[in-house]
Amino acid sequence: MEIMQVQEDLVCTRSVKQLEGISLRVMKDLKGKVWCASDPVGVGIGKWVVTASGSAARWAMPSYDSATDLTIVGIIDQWEWPEPKR
Amino acid sequence: MRIMQVEKTLVSTNRIKNLGLRPLLVVRDKPNGTPLVAVDAVGCIPGDWVICVGSSAARESAGSKDYPSDLTIVGIIDYWDKDQKG
Repeated sequence: MEIMQVQEDLVCTRSVKQLEGISLRVMKDLKGKVWCASDPVGVGIGKWVVTASGSAARWAMPSYDSATDLTIVGIIDQWEWPEPKR
Repeated sequence: MRIMQVEKTLVSTNRIKNLGLRPLLVVRDKPNGTPLVAVDAVGCIPGDWVICVGSSAARESAGSKDYPSDLTIVGIIDYWDKDQKG
């Protein structure tokens, strides 16, 4: 599972039925690549979170048939990045 | 499967219910590699070299078929010298 930061909310009015009612977030991973993740936890902007990808992302959603391959599974209590020089 | 080193425990109090009480660990494949998060199924301490498995095997070994993990630690390597050419 990866560590990512929530950038902003993503609104998607027209979507397939399996994506209705799912809140979407714009994410940025540790390499700066931008993703879109589904959010069953309800995370604020700027928070560092743990995400699951692949079919584990569907199991992380309330219903298995939601059309996602990246889901936020938890908010990290304390994380700093880029990491301080050791 | 991947050979990685455990860095530290990742605390995530606010997380989805079906993650349960499994500990999450930050793992890296090389000291300055990108950190990933793995579910600990064997009980490791920071500094251990471990074997991590992905996809559906990660879910099975972390608990049940529908456990939302895409990376799980399944074994602690007895001896691994870190600058071995992978």
